[in-house]
Amino acid sequence: MLVMLALGAITAVLAFPAYWVVATAFKSSEQLNSALVVFWPVPAHFENFVEAVTRVPFMAYAVNSLFLATISGVLTTFSSALVGYGFARLHGPGKRILFGVLIAMMMMPGIVTLIPTYLLFSQVGLVGNYWPWVIWGLAGSPYLIFLYRQFFAGLPKELEEAAILDGCSQLGIFVKVFLPISKPIVVTAFVMSFLATWGDFIAPNLLLNQSNTTLAVALSSGYVNERGFPLNNLIAAGSILYVIPVVLVFFFVQRRYTENFSAAGIK
Amino acid sequence: MVATLTRAVPARRSSLQTRRRSRAFYLFVSPWILGTILLTLFPLAYAFGVSLTNWDGVSPGFRWIGAKNYVDVLTDPETWASMGRSGLLALVVVPLTVAGSLGLAVLLNQKVRLRSFWRTMIYLPAIFPPVAAALSWKLLFDRDSGAINAIRAWFGQDAVNWMTGQQVFVVLLALMLWGIGGGMIINLAALQDVSPELLEAATLDGAGPWRRFTSVTLPTISPVLLFQTITATIGVLQTFVPALLLSPATGPAAITAVPEANRVFMIDVYAQYFAYSRYGYASAMLWLFFLAILLVTVLFFRFSRKTVFYAVDPSNGGGKR
Repeated sequence: MLVMLALGAITAVLAFPAYWVVATAFKSSEQLNSALVVFWPVPAHFENFVEAVTRVPFMAYAVNSLFLATISGVLTTFSSALVGYGFARLHGPGKRILFGVLIAMMMMPGIVTLIPTYLLFSQVGLVGNYWPWVIWGLAGSPYLIFLYRQFFAGLPKELEEAAILDGCSQLGIFVKVFLPISKPIVVTAFVMSFLATWGDFIAPNLLLNQSNTTLAVALSSGYVNERGFPLNNLIAAGSILYVIPVVLVFFFVQRRYTENFSAAGIK
Repeated sequence: MVATLTRAVPARRSSLQTRRRSRAFYLFVSPWILGTILLTLFPLAYAFGVSLTNWDGVSPGFRWIGAKNYVDVLTDPETWASMGRSGLLALVVVPLTVAGSLGLAVLLNQKVRLRSFWRTMIYLPAIFPPVAAALSWKLLFDRDSGAINAIRAWFGQDAVNWMTGQQVFVVLLALMLWGIGGGMIINLAALQDVSPELLEAATLDGAGPWRRFTSVTLPTISPVLLFQTITATIGVLQTFVPALLLSPATGPAAITAVPEANRVFMIDVYAQYFAYSRYGYASAMLWLFFLAILLVTVLFFRFSRKTVFYAVDPSNGGGKR
């Protein structure tokens, strides 16, 4: 009973900020500016959502976000699997050292290299377009490589032996034998890298411009009135529209997602 | 003659196989190797080069000035102040997150009613994209229309302007603690690995719940706790987006308008780069930050040798091999 009470209280505190965004999204500017703070907006102003998508080119930004998140998701998922397979099932001189470097890269703060990368990209004309995400995607992500490696390393050796006898190349084994049976981990990797790009603010803020930037950047600066003051109800409505895909994806893959956390383990 | 032949052939074949296999290994891992060189090592080296110059990003005639930037950074009280803020943030947020998420995981590992509902609700804030989270907290703590001041008013407390002074640091702290569910999920996964036989044996030996927790559960999950502590520390030290978006200004002006209490280290670095165009100086800051992170990580691993228990020797490259 006491546990239930504690959990109820914790959940209420954690859920309240999210509720507040929803409540704010339904307020008119009068309800927003009323001296008595409105906790439950009546009447609810659904038209805020319409205004949120029409006042700024919301759909165009959403398409940009979707496009970027998809290319970097697909590329990162595939190349991380490739590298993870290499670390799990193949051998070569220097493998242990390389694996150590990989682990160190997981600890490496991405922000440290981001600014110099931006300076370099700007010198070769890669700023203002989506090529950096292709390059990042092709390089894979250390965390996902590690995830794949743990998964592939746990699979039985018999799997590839038959294929080797049939004269299958390593790439063939990877594509025909290992990838098909690792669907759950592939889905997890795709969701994680997709959501990372969808939620990222710093890279698009640095590397893209006003016209081809993502929703994350547009949200933070798009909704202001003529005098430059933020329009809180529209910010809230826009934020909800921006978060909905994330929540949907989460509910769709939730079980798999949390199971894979334990399967891969940070151990 | 026959004997040497039969022996020689497999030997040659296996060396060919080894070579082929190592070629396959390098082929498979090459995207990551190339990526690491191009996207991490080269930018790091480049930043180091820039940090030895007085480049402002615009004028072509920049000069080699040696270690001057490093001396300037280390003697600038503003650097120490922003580093201190980042350190303080880590000092508060990391222990609370690690301990709090462990506590929540232990609670939700028991058979409570509505267990998966609680898990989902607590995890949900962790999946909020940082931008949405920061904007939400701005609405929540708004001076006139925010819920926090309204609730304070019920108790007769005056309205607080949360976006200025020291208060904004409190908002930042609260915002960062909101993602506690992320750690909880990892801890829940770790708790699944605690051996029920071991727990039972401890019970038979007369160990109470607390003793079982400290003698069986904690040692089992200690590698996961260490990993969380390290990644959380590194993560908090690089806090940027939440601090930036709690600024009263929006767009490019936001970086210089961040209230002083929230001018954490990365905000300082960005301002030096993009508001004041001090590329050399800011690159020196990044390099010092990189060294500091490295030092923190090494210290954690040093310290953990005595406190973290591994069932499998991790220096072998981890678990299931």
